[in-house]
Amino acid sequence: MRGIVAAAVGTMALMGGAVQAATPRDALVMAWNLDALITFDPAQIAEVNGNDIIRNVCEPMVNYDLKDTSKIVPGTVAKWAVSEDGLTLTMTLRDDLKFPSGKKATAQDAEWSLHRAVMLGFGNAANITEWGFNKDNIATTIKATDEHTLAFKLDRPYPVGLLLSAMFASGSTGILDREEGTKNAKVTEGKSDYGNAFFKTAPVCVGPYRVTRWNTNDVVILERNDNYYGEKAKLRRVIIRHVPESGAQRLLLEQGDIDVARLLGTDDLKALAANVAATVAIEQTVMHGYSYLAFNGLDPILGNPKVREAFRYLIDYDGLAKTILEYQGAPRASLVPRGAFGALDAADGQPFKLDLERAKALLTEAGFPNGFAKKFILSANSFSPAVAQHVQSNAAKIGVTLQLEQMADAQLFTRARSREFEVLLIGWGAGYPDAHSMISRHAVNPDNRVEAKLAQYPSWRSSWIDAKVNEMADAAKMERDPAKRITAYHEIQRYMMKSGPMAYIVQTIRPIALRKEVKDFAITPFDVAYRTATK
Amino acid sequence: MSAMGTWLRAEVTTSPAHARVQRAFYGWLRLRANPLAFGGFLILVGLVLVAALAPVIAPVGYNEQSLALRLRSPSAEHWFGTDELGRDLFARIVWGARITIYISTLVAVIAAPIGLAVGTTAGYFGGWTDTVLMRINDMFLSFPGLILALGFVAALGPGIGNAVIAIALTAWPPIARLARAETLTIRASDYIAAVRIQGAGPLRIILRHIVPMCVPSVVVRITLNMAGIILTAAGLGFLGLGAQPPTPEWGAMLSTGRQNMLGAWWIAAVPGIAILITSLAFNLFGDGLRDVLDPRSE
Amino acid sequence: MLAAAWQVGSVAVTLFGLLAITFFMGRLLPIDPVISIVGEQADKATYDMVYHRLGLDKPLAMQFLLFVGDMLSGEFGDALFTGNKVAVDLGRVFPATIELATFAIIIGVGVGVPLGVLAAVYRGSLLDHVARFVGLLGYSSPTFWLGLMGLIVFYATLRWVGGPGRLDVAFIDSIEPRTGLILLDAALEGEWEVFANAFGHIVLPGSILGYASLAYISRMTRSFMLEQLGQDYIIAARAKGMSRWRVVRRHAFRNIRVQLLTVIALAYAFLLEGAVLTETVFAWPGFGRYLTSGLLAGDMNAVLACVLIIGIIFVSLNLIADALYRLLDPRTR
Repeated sequence: MRGIVAAAVGTMALMGGAVQAATPRDALVMAWNLDALITFDPAQIAEVNGNDIIRNVCEPMVNYDLKDTSKIVPGTVAKWAVSEDGLTLTMTLRDDLKFPSGKKATAQDAEWSLHRAVMLGFGNAANITEWGFNKDNIATTIKATDEHTLAFKLDRPYPVGLLLSAMFASGSTGILDREEGTKNAKVTEGKSDYGNAFFKTAPVCVGPYRVTRWNTNDVVILERNDNYYGEKAKLRRVIIRHVPESGAQRLLLEQGDIDVARLLGTDDLKALAANVAATVAIEQTVMHGYSYLAFNGLDPILGNPKVREAFRYLIDYDGLAKTILEYQGAPRASLVPRGAFGALDAADGQPFKLDLERAKALLTEAGFPNGFAKKFILSANSFSPAVAQHVQSNAAKIGVTLQLEQMADAQLFTRARSREFEVLLIGWGAGYPDAHSMISRHAVNPDNRVEAKLAQYPSWRSSWIDAKVNEMADAAKMERDPAKRITAYHEIQRYMMKSGPMAYIVQTIRPIALRKEVKDFAITPFDVAYRTATK
Repeated sequence: MSAMGTWLRAEVTTSPAHARVQRAFYGWLRLRANPLAFGGFLILVGLVLVAALAPVIAPVGYNEQSLALRLRSPSAEHWFGTDELGRDLFARIVWGARITIYISTLVAVIAAPIGLAVGTTAGYFGGWTDTVLMRINDMFLSFPGLILALGFVAALGPGIGNAVIAIALTAWPPIARLARAETLTIRASDYIAAVRIQGAGPLRIILRHIVPMCVPSVVVRITLNMAGIILTAAGLGFLGLGAQPPTPEWGAMLSTGRQNMLGAWWIAAVPGIAILITSLAFNLFGDGLRDVLDPRSE
Repeated sequence: MLAAAWQVGSVAVTLFGLLAITFFMGRLLPIDPVISIVGEQADKATYDMVYHRLGLDKPLAMQFLLFVGDMLSGEFGDALFTGNKVAVDLGRVFPATIELATFAIIIGVGVGVPLGVLAAVYRGSLLDHVARFVGLLGYSSPTFWLGLMGLIVFYATLRWVGGPGRLDVAFIDSIEPRTGLILLDAALEGEWEVFANAFGHIVLPGSILGYASLAYISRMTRSFMLEQLGQDYIIAARAKGMSRWRVVRRHAFRNIRVQLLTVIALAYAFLLEGAVLTETVFAWPGFGRYLTSGLLAGDMNAVLACVLIIGIIFVSLNLIADALYRLLDPRTR
């Protein structure tokens, strides 16, 4: 070790003193874990990094208000109107939309972008297909009637607020350059990829930034789009570096080598708050997502609602939120997240607490006074092992033996999707701030048969189906009176807390630590606006 | 000098057993004379004692959680501090010694015979047998150790048992290479020719005459590799594929501590140092053992 | 001629076997590569579409042949988790690792060989013990732990070195990647500021890896030297009045050079593949991490290509070592 220190000292002397730290004045530098990022094609993006970045590159048709996510404000679409019968939606695009090249963007481009999302059929297409559009009817149901107008034919009269929030504010509605996409399309086995491979690294979009470099698992660089119609981004570049270790991110942030750290662990955040509060701020955003336990209903023991209820009393919600999950989650047991339309309030949405006696009593009622043994699978990453061991140790106190098995995320998802689990600790993020987002996947289960393979429904994964909930959810979705919709959603949430297949532990918090010289970096659950930031 | 001492140091040995004991005795003296190697030996003996006496030494069990006591720095009450779930790290390290010993012993017990068998067979028969066995050996050898282990653990499912098998798979090829090289030298020697003339079959020659000659260098090799084995096990734990929680495997503990590295340094430092000391001890001991057993380095 | 053909054939067989083991190991992996492409919330139709596109519905043997075809074409197929051609990805990650490993081996050799020689010459002295201890300590340390500790001390506290990554952000994109080795590229273009910055970033991870390889190199040097120093000709030379260091330099060291080269080559190969954890800690976009991420995402195209490359490196080094061994040790003839 001595030799190395000496060598290091020597080399530093050669280099002429200390290494200078500071990020470039006209760039926002962000550290993140970019492992999951595989594409920038808005029709395919299915993970957190891509979703976050793409909203600054491909502007959706409408936006969530950066100050109040429950409000919808115009994006590339200037105004919209619904017909009397509620079956035709007309959207008028702005007439000053331009691609980064300066070329005009039209309703034909928008039409093509929506069509291709449906035709490509990635998971993301569900944002559109859930509302009655599909590969067969899309040519007639979504049409550009002139250069600025898009007409949508709906199959049912959906509440327009829900439609705007769920479909039109989603990242899949960015306007891509049709000409570029068609020119660069790859055709295999007679099928076009609609420029999927081409847009993967360089989406040509209407938006405040454009992607100029992406080295996988290394760096993403965005440059300002000077032909953007709206207010131009303040900082010329955004540099996102792949830094997979929380500790390393923290050091970089403290040293001023980055402006924003996106993936910090609880204890690093606590230390930042304690030591460098003068230079670093921590913004916590309550997300529309959960960490939860799922139980497999096919298991004779876990299929019993009383057993599942008992598990809800094995979690020290507040204890976890104050320790392991500080900065990471807020206790919440109802499946509709706080902040979403139709959510129960904080108290009603979290009626459980750690209560071993109650749990024991419920198990006895269910017919398992002596407990049982189950396998419990979880991710090896982040806080999952600590949370799982916490649950395990409480379960042991009432005679329930949980055998933990941790694994890579990709493997965990595979196991969950194929129903190969008994107890499972996993996460989920809702796509838009409306109760329907969670309820349509976690409570509704259209078809519980194995061969239906509805793996996108956590309810199906848990083999849980309830005809009454399916009906209630459909009625609520179509209810056009907002007050009645809220009441209907409250009812579903109460029902699910009693008999649902999950035990929700916390509603996710997304902590973002940033240096105080960065101003106006607007953060909402569904949109992190690099475009407004200054420094 | 006592009678025992005289017998041990006798100029002329009276029986093969006497010769063996005397050799061991002189080896022991040489080991004693090498302070580093002897230090390593003492540490390993200490490790075994700690593992055996874990229930006595450890103040509490290895999974006594308390969210109120989490991340306490080392103190009189918690010698090594507490971890992210408020568990006493001293207790976990002590219990974890068992896992370390379990893994290293088992890997040695699996890998050494496989390596010896493959290496001596290839070396003794030569020709096609040699080519085939050595190509297989090369395949495993050219596989990155951690990746091979990772792949097998991922395929078989995580857990200590599978981790041991996976690590053993990565540990035998170097031993086989070594045994083969030794065999090539021994094969040509006169006494093997003599045994062969007396009518001994290949199996007998390999088992009775070649393997014993290879054993010292294999023992040295595996002792030296033990550090690598422990680090691979720790690497698997680090990537979440080794022992499952709440098992106090040192590598897994280190991996957990990584998240608190800057704040609660002891969570990573304590198992890190434990791994370091143990593998260092194996290395020092192995290095000394080589001086004792390997005549070429004299 | 025939011997050469025989060698080539057996190497091909080894590599083919390596691919086969990897491929079938990949089949056993309970990780589904489709999920990383379609996302965890995707429906069955999407899933099936991608499953088909990846050719996972073809018979196993067919898939294996397609894989081998991809490997032979030199493009290595598409990496699923990055979406690029694997060859393209490797072109980016491999230089990063080469640069790191080369830096490390320079330290390993520069310090390890003299240390080993000294230890052998002064065998049994305090110097020998210290050298042995220092070396073994490097060999026994969990490298990622040293890495984080090093970052805390030299980067965060002392500010002597650059942080994680290959360059400060201010310098990203500032030079044209000609070789991909930033230090070399910067030197070629005379961008000394970039060079200094890159050097500040590589010095810590490079030294830590170098320390780990130093142990192996110094120990092997020591034992080769001891063997030589015990030879009759050395004793004769000493008896003739040649000075100790002259003997060491002119005779003993000269005789171990080939053996030593083999050891260094092997140490280098280990550095290429063994830097996964260091690369993670230092956010170094290298080969080891690429391979591990590929494996954990179930991306067998990427894994197979990496394994093949490592296999080629190892097999060739083994062949060389074998040949040298035969050449040098008359007893094995």
